[in-house]
Amino acid sequence: MEVKVIFGKKEENRAIPEETTIKEVLDAMDISSEAVVVKRNNEIVIEEEFLVDGDVIEVIRVIYGG
Amino acid sequence: MKTCTKCGATPVIIHRKASGQMLCKDCFIESATEKVLKNIRRNKLIERGDKVAVALSGGKDSVMVLDIVNSLHERNIIDLFAITIDEGIGGYRKHGVEIAAKNAKKLGIDHRIASFKDYFGKTLDEIMHNESRQHGACTYCGVFRRWIINRVAREENATKIATGHNLDDETEAILMNYLEGNIDNLTRIGVKSEPKNDKFTIKIKPIREIPEKEVALYVIARELDVHFDECPYSRESFRGEVGRFVKELSANHPTIMYSTLKGFDKIKPAIKKEFSGKKVNMGNCIQCGEPASHELCRACLFAKSLNGEQ
Repeated sequence: MEVKVIFGKKEENRAIPEETTIKEVLDAMDISSEAVVVKRNNEIVIEEEFLVDGDVIEVIRVIYGG
Repeated sequence: MKTCTKCGATPVIIHRKASGQMLCKDCFIESATEKVLKNIRRNKLIERGDKVAVALSGGKDSVMVLDIVNSLHERNIIDLFAITIDEGIGGYRKHGVEIAAKNAKKLGIDHRIASFKDYFGKTLDEIMHNESRQHGACTYCGVFRRWIINRVAREENATKIATGHNLDDETEAILMNYLEGNIDNLTRIGVKSEPKNDKFTIKIKPIREIPEKEVALYVIARELDVHFDECPYSRESFRGEVGRFVKELSANHPTIMYSTLKGFDKIKPAIKKEFSGKKVNMGNCIQCGEPASHELCRACLFAKSLNGEQ
């Protein structure tokens, strides 16, 4: 399945397996979940949530140096 | 989908690993607000009739402070205004000042903007390019910012200055001073300052027990205007290094910042008793009249040396 990830000014489509969590996507992008707040389809979500095909993930960097 | 441990609603926007609690947006906002107000009540940070100056940078921390302290203003318990310092940092500060002004305007709060350029004749960028410079950006910034905030607060008859120090900031400050063996500084860390001179306005830290990540979550959940930009000078600092270390530790030990703060607050009276014996003769700076323990205050000393004077 595929999700769209928006991080700052970058936007990319990522192919991911079924039952992938937001945390796993962040780990794959080498982003610390402690430093960001994530919105899925415009709603804030926790990193343990599973993604579904077509989800749009916005990763907002809120802490630097984390 | 996970459900809120308080009301059962979905979606959940936070999983507090330190307590296991999961909260929906409304319960999280309520919980964070209550925690801050409880801190204010328990430590008597703000009392009826106070005039509170919020040091408002436009970043998440000060915007959260303004938002919550404003609830006391709306209930006519206190008077409130905001001070924003324009340090003069290219590509960074202008945005923060605009956001700060927007927040103050939205709440109908008086807002003073004061710049390094106006008070000290130089922007922070100019200071960093100055050949006479002897310190890092954060040292100049801290000294000049404190000087201006205190001066403006006094001009406006403020009784308290509220700052946006969060749990991460406090933990970093405690560890930095332990690591540097700076016991004198340790005696001064706390939720409320105890000024040695009545020209200093009392400083309070309403969000001291809120982790930085939760501060960010709060402003996003409340849809407040903030800027999340990084100060271009922040990475140079020792604080930055300690901050990265604390955050790494917190990933596997989620209660570490709370325990550092609580432990420190418990031993602080003993540290103060043992190490605050040294009486500092606090007079007034011969140049600017602000409180100083020597002839010149630190801000005037810095300004003088940046002008190439001895």
